[in-house]
Amino acid sequence: MSNLVTTLISVLVFPGLFFILTYSLFAQWVSRKAAARLQNRQGPLHTGWQGILQPLADFIKLLVKEDITPAAANKPVFDFTPLFIFALPLAATFLIPIQSITNLWSWEPVASFEGDLIMVLFLMSIVVLAIFLAGWSSGNLFGAVGATRVAFMMLAYEIPLGLVAISPAILARSLSINSIVDWQVASVAAFLTTPSLWGLVTGMVLFIGFAIYVICLLAELEMRPFDMSEAETEIVHGWQVEYSGKKLLLLNAGHDVKMVLAAALLTSLFLGGPAGPVLPPFVWFILKTTLCVLILSNMSVLFARFRIDQLVSGAWRYLVPLAVLQVMAVVALSGVI
Amino acid sequence: MSDRQFVIPIGPQHPALKEPESFLFTVDGEVVVDVDPRIGYNHRGIEKAMEARNYIQNLYITERVCGICSNAHQTAYTGAVEEVAGIEIPERAKYIRVFFHELERIHSHLLWLGVAAHEIGFDTLFYYIWRDRELVMDMLEEISGNRCNYAIPTVGGVRRDLQKDKFPKWHKMLDTLAERTNYYIKVASTEQTILDRAVGVGYVGKEDMIRLSGSGPNARCSGVPCDTRKTAPYLIYDEIPFEHIYVDNGDVLGQVLVRALEVLEAVKICKWVLDNIPDGEIAVKFNPMQKVPEGEAVYIVEAQRGELIHYTISDGRNMPYRHKIRAPTLGNIPSLVERLKGGYIADIPITLAGIDPCFSCTDRMAFYDEGKDKSWAWDGEQLRRHGLEWYKK
Repeated sequence: MSNLVTTLISVLVFPGLFFILTYSLFAQWVSRKAAARLQNRQGPLHTGWQGILQPLADFIKLLVKEDITPAAANKPVFDFTPLFIFALPLAATFLIPIQSITNLWSWEPVASFEGDLIMVLFLMSIVVLAIFLAGWSSGNLFGAVGATRVAFMMLAYEIPLGLVAISPAILARSLSINSIVDWQVASVAAFLTTPSLWGLVTGMVLFIGFAIYVICLLAELEMRPFDMSEAETEIVHGWQVEYSGKKLLLLNAGHDVKMVLAAALLTSLFLGGPAGPVLPPFVWFILKTTLCVLILSNMSVLFARFRIDQLVSGAWRYLVPLAVLQVMAVVALSGVI
Repeated sequence: MSDRQFVIPIGPQHPALKEPESFLFTVDGEVVVDVDPRIGYNHRGIEKAMEARNYIQNLYITERVCGICSNAHQTAYTGAVEEVAGIEIPERAKYIRVFFHELERIHSHLLWLGVAAHEIGFDTLFYYIWRDRELVMDMLEEISGNRCNYAIPTVGGVRRDLQKDKFPKWHKMLDTLAERTNYYIKVASTEQTILDRAVGVGYVGKEDMIRLSGSGPNARCSGVPCDTRKTAPYLIYDEIPFEHIYVDNGDVLGQVLVRALEVLEAVKICKWVLDNIPDGEIAVKFNPMQKVPEGEAVYIVEAQRGELIHYTISDGRNMPYRHKIRAPTLGNIPSLVERLKGGYIADIPITLAGIDPCFSCTDRMAFYDEGKDKSWAWDGEQLRRHGLEWYKK
């Protein structure tokens, strides 16, 4: 009985639905505010302290807006894809270690099994498919162009994304995100007691992986410089162009959750997950993921938007070989340490 | 059209266009194969309205032809009218007109640079450039009281004087502008993501540009030296030392460079004007009821977007018999079509914005029957009736 209650609480309240949704609103605010300050603007300012409630206010506003389905749209697909775009990344966050609700100092995820890393990557790819369907079904030319661009972009970043995500798994000899975090904690502790050259080299190789992963996630999240699938000046918001009201709300919420998921993956695979001294795991999780969100939004204000052909050729010319080299280095290192 | 090709409409309403204008793009995948521009969505009957008002009232109409090049239109209009009326304006007025002409060029070019950065998705640069543009906007506001539509030239001179005690402050502001512009030139010519989106995009060579009769920065970026301030100097431009800016890149990077370098030259001209401005009257008297002798005149100025032509005919009354405005964008559209063909969809916004289009200046309305080779125009009453009929359907 108590087992059922704790499961329900961890799925619905903490660290499940409620926490993730609240935190994704906070992440949206952090990303908007940081980007605005870097661009010499103020960003959200009036709703709550420094506009911290602005994402929530935007969501409430979208709830009361009219929800239009264009006559040319394929209605069932058009109606259901926003649900998938919202629900799939949310489901993936249950596999991320954040905080156990029975033990303050443990970070057991809500669900964990051998191979859940593959599951998360799979869910993220399915989101792209849902986005493609969303754009294609809207019956709008700009939507169709945006949808094909999303599919093209997937060709560019999916391979390096998968390769780099596997490299910590090779070192940890496990495909479970939780075991990867445990391995990182153990090896960092071992490195701190007996520093070794190989530990340093491993850290550097993983840092390259981190950099590649950030670039791929920028493309996955459709953030600048890889936002050509919604490029406002070119194709008027691309695949989202026909969405309004509650469906747009779901799309926006899905994007925020995806951003949290991306930051959480970065944290879990490369930054030691929710582990850290003194403070409980969820505090470390929030600190580290906020750092990742800041890195992502900082990257996104630094560059001009690439063209789709430049992204694909650039990814295959530089990112894929670099990712392959990184994985080879990791395989070699896993034999040494 | 093969089944791989489809037509994307850009406009009349589109975020890349700040004004309503329609372009039908035939695309093959991501590549543009054909462009069909359709101008004429923004017809306001300004030339007709001018025929019913006297020369002073028309000042306010010409100023409102365009929001960005309002001063250029007024400069050209007053120049043409003064030529017909045989008015010689005071020397100091000429200097003040040049000062405003160049300040407006600075603000327009900086505005364009920001918009160009926005079109290639580099919003950070856009915000920075527009922040620095506030300097020149502040100067314009300080002198004229307005951020656009300054109402400075009038028939017979200018309406406001420059105050001597403000000169050191303006010198300092202009120096800051030059310094920031130099920084943006450095950013635009070294930042790799900008170069990826600008080099080779929308290329038109020198011969093609001459054949397609482009003007302004659009032509000068293809290596055609066509700055009216140098080729046919007006006001006091023959006395001012400044460079004739043109580059032979022919692409979007060339357009960025031409405009950025012209900002630097405009700053130089403004500083020269502040140093050399003579004392004296700023206007000779011109009465709104004053009759202007019969005659006609053409006055050409170099507006920010290119060669701006005002042509006026007087039949001896106190209002023009006909006033014709030829805005630079009209001449730039053939080369714009050439620039767009063969490019990517992703490059459409920056190429479109590249000529700094101003459709409100450009649009006219006339009917043309291709079969009979006959053209005619409608008057206001016919237009009104057509509008009523159209919405009854």
